[in-house]
Amino acid sequence: MDKQLDLLQGTLDMLILKAISLSPLHGYGILLRIQQISKERLEIQQGSLYPALYRLEHQGWIASEWGESENRRRARYYRLTAAGKRRLQSESKRWNEMTEVIAGILQATPEEL
Amino acid sequence: MNLWARFRSWTAAMLQRTRTEREMDDEMRFHIEAYAADLVGRGVPQHEALRQARQEFGWVEVTKEECRDAVGVSFVEILIQDVRHGVRTLMRTPVFTVITVVVLALGIGANTAIFSVVDAVLLRPLGYRDSGRLVTILMDGEDPVSAANYVDWRDQSRSFEAMGAADYWSPNLTGVDSPEHVAGLKVTQSLFPMLGIEPALGRLFVEGEDKEGADREVILSYRLWQRRFSGDRNVLGKPIVLDGDAYVVVGVMPQGFQFAPFWATHAELWVPNAFGARIHNRGGNSLRIFGRLKEGVSLTQARAEISGITEQLERQYPGTNRNVVVTPLKEKVVGPIETPLLVLLGAVAFVLLITCANVAHMLLALAATRQKEVAVRAALGARRVRIIRQFLTESLLLGGLGGAAGLCLAVLATRALIAMSPANIPRVQTVTIDPRAALFLFSATILTSIGFGLAPALQASSVNVNDTLKESGRGNSEGIRHNRLRSLLVISEFALAVILLIGAGLMIRTFAALQAVDAGFNPHNVISMVVSVAGSKEADPARRAVFYHQLIERVRSLPGVQAAGGINHLPLAGDLWGWPFVIEGRPKPRPGESPGGVYRMVTPGYFDAMRLPLIRGRDILEADSVTAPGVVIINERAAKEYWPGEDPIGKRISFDDDKANPPTWMTIIGVAKNAKQGDWAASPFPEVYLAAFQNHDFLGDSGSEAGGHSSYITLVARTTGDPAALAPAMKETAWSFDRNLAISEVVTMDGVVADANAQPRFEMRLLTIFAAVALVLATVGIYGVISYSASRKTHEIGVRMSLGATRADVLLLVLREGIWLALAGSVSGIAGALLLSRLMRKLLYGVQATDPATFAVVATGLGLVSMLACYIPARRAMRINPVAALRCD
Repeated sequence: MDKQLDLLQGTLDMLILKAISLSPLHGYGILLRIQQISKERLEIQQGSLYPALYRLEHQGWIASEWGESENRRRARYYRLTAAGKRRLQSESKRWNEMTEVIAGILQATPEEL
Repeated sequence: MNLWARFRSWTAAMLQRTRTEREMDDEMRFHIEAYAADLVGRGVPQHEALRQARQEFGWVEVTKEECRDAVGVSFVEILIQDVRHGVRTLMRTPVFTVITVVVLALGIGANTAIFSVVDAVLLRPLGYRDSGRLVTILMDGEDPVSAANYVDWRDQSRSFEAMGAADYWSPNLTGVDSPEHVAGLKVTQSLFPMLGIEPALGRLFVEGEDKEGADREVILSYRLWQRRFSGDRNVLGKPIVLDGDAYVVVGVMPQGFQFAPFWATHAELWVPNAFGARIHNRGGNSLRIFGRLKEGVSLTQARAEISGITEQLERQYPGTNRNVVVTPLKEKVVGPIETPLLVLLGAVAFVLLITCANVAHMLLALAATRQKEVAVRAALGARRVRIIRQFLTESLLLGGLGGAAGLCLAVLATRALIAMSPANIPRVQTVTIDPRAALFLFSATILTSIGFGLAPALQASSVNVNDTLKESGRGNSEGIRHNRLRSLLVISEFALAVILLIGAGLMIRTFAALQAVDAGFNPHNVISMVVSVAGSKEADPARRAVFYHQLIERVRSLPGVQAAGGINHLPLAGDLWGWPFVIEGRPKPRPGESPGGVYRMVTPGYFDAMRLPLIRGRDILEADSVTAPGVVIINERAAKEYWPGEDPIGKRISFDDDKANPPTWMTIIGVAKNAKQGDWAASPFPEVYLAAFQNHDFLGDSGSEAGGHSSYITLVARTTGDPAALAPAMKETAWSFDRNLAISEVVTMDGVVADANAQPRFEMRLLTIFAAVALVLATVGIYGVISYSASRKTHEIGVRMSLGATRADVLLLVLREGIWLALAGSVSGIAGALLLSRLMRKLLYGVQATDPATFAVVATGLGLVSMLACYIPARRAMRINPVAALRCD
């Protein structure tokens, strides 16, 4: 297995928004989906998910309601709000620009200067 | 950011706090269990799976806390948490909690009570419209003026919107079930509109009613209306009989209305003041003048104008307009009581400060025992601010309990204060714990709580986590800084207590000095009452002298009466008339500089009844009748002032004004010892006792207006037993002549003397109570610090003793610290008292504000008490078993 990466500061919010943009999920489901998409390469402290969820809900980007889980247990499901969708778009755009710039810098060769 | 969503989420969280908490639990439990189930699926054993899931999830409580933080309900959450925790902590130490709450309740309650007095008496505006613009205009700022002067000032000045004048008048109310002597005022028509108070019933006087012939109208006070007319609205338009004349009731003033506010404060009825011929009189000074400043006119301008007018009048009519002073009415009312009340307020604030310091160092000691708890919390991630907050919440809890108890105490204390306050404090009857006092109590509680809670909170929150947790036994980490703080608190407590004790000491000496003052007469076993003939058949000049003679005669023959006599006005309690006289054979004095004296009219037997000794000459006798030559007795002061180096006996004086020709000379037949007149602390003025039965005013046959002012006699009787017990018999004796005689002011002379000293007694009592509380608190404080520090030194003492230190050495070791604290406190307290005691100079009599004896007694006394407080822990330290002490740490 590849060495797991620590989450970059401030990126957890974006990952949560992305995870539930595909379909509504409960907290544990969000964790599983992120791990699944990242092919288990991201280390997320499990408990740290919840303060982020509460904060995002408080900010109005996600909403929650109680539903039934796969194995018929009561679970709280989170979905993206309209504001959350816009937020995810702008955050993704910003992230892509940022990585492009940083990747460009890191790939710079002496000839280009 | 979506503000609305944020607000909604916050309120939802607030409102559904318990639901949120439950959901949070559910959600996290679901997470952990789902994960555990997955682990089982991967082959981890059941019991191991749950454990691992929990571990990987992390600390649930911390996560929840962070979630709460994220939503932002934390403030209320934390508050509720802290209050719960605080209640638990306080309940763990019930003795400390109860003591602290009681001490705080005393401090806060006493402060609120005194504040409510200061507020009602000093701070509130007087109960008239825009009362800040009302002033009085009086000679020397206190003496009444003549009608002619009033009219001149009113007509010539431009600074005043209105001016009014009032005369004291206390008529007999007859024609109702029992006659009563009622205090009242004769007022000019302009006066009530100037005050801007509407009557509760009926109307005020209208223009022209203060002219002679139209003046038989009366306005009643609410109290009189209730008491004598049962609040009957039909009293309007009905006549009532005052001094035998019918007056029509035209109005009733609202409840709580009081006029005048600084003199004649118990006036219960008002009638128009018809000047008549008096309007040209510049000699008879009986009017108090009130004015309302025009909008935009300053006090300085009004003063300048009045002094211009009065200088002009003084030139025109010498001796009639000297030193006329315009004083704001409020200042006139509260001026005399301002200093005493502020001194008391300061003293009680000191008590609260001491209380604060005391509670603070109790909390400091307690905080030291809680270092572990704090360290654990800090280790679990609690930030310092959070710990400080928690400690302050506890302090506010304590303070709040103290404040609540203080409120109950304040209600009781204000009642007690009203009951024990001297009669001369204006508006004291209106003192209540109202919203303003409650607001004061609330702020005092908050400030006090922060005051005593901040230092312990800062102290407690600054623990070094590692050191504290590493130590197994009692923490030894208490630094010098900590001890220094506690020492500083004790020193300031001590200093404040010294200041209070010195204040109380000075007041006690003042009171003792006042008690030692010789009244001149012997006040014990003397009873007095005013019998007024006005409105009765005895008012008839033909009957009055006979009636007075017979009345005194019958009182004298009552069982238990040793001596009896009569006078116009009782010393100390009664009115004080000053009258100028001329001395036979001396050049005519310049106007305003003629000799004069307190004017008394006495019957034979008065000097005996009062045991007022005659230094020389003879008493007034029955033989000095209306047909015999006029005689007077003067007091020592008059003899010294007007006949220095001469024998006054046989000299003649006259009270007639210039117009009488020839003057009626009265021969001085005796010199009486100086007796107290109006003010207990003042040295007596010259005084002249005329023979009542030679005086036409007293007997009502002078035909002059003054006769109406003297239609009463003050009976004085010396008893063998309790003087108060004689009152019913004396009253019955008077009423056996005529049921219509009004009897008032039934007092014992001891009571009169006590009343004359009521204010210093009040000040002394309160200051003594405050000082006693301060002394107890400071003693407890020093005891606490010393026993605490001695117990911290157990180990050290054990080492010293095993190295050969004697018990005396140990005693000294512990005592030394106490001595040092007491000394530092006393020195700073004495310095403070030197600075502050001068503020109470106005309250003192017969003692200097820096009286060395008081200072020395207080310093020594407090030193001894503090030695005693330190001796107890020192003795305990002395008995330490060195082996046990060394083993215990």
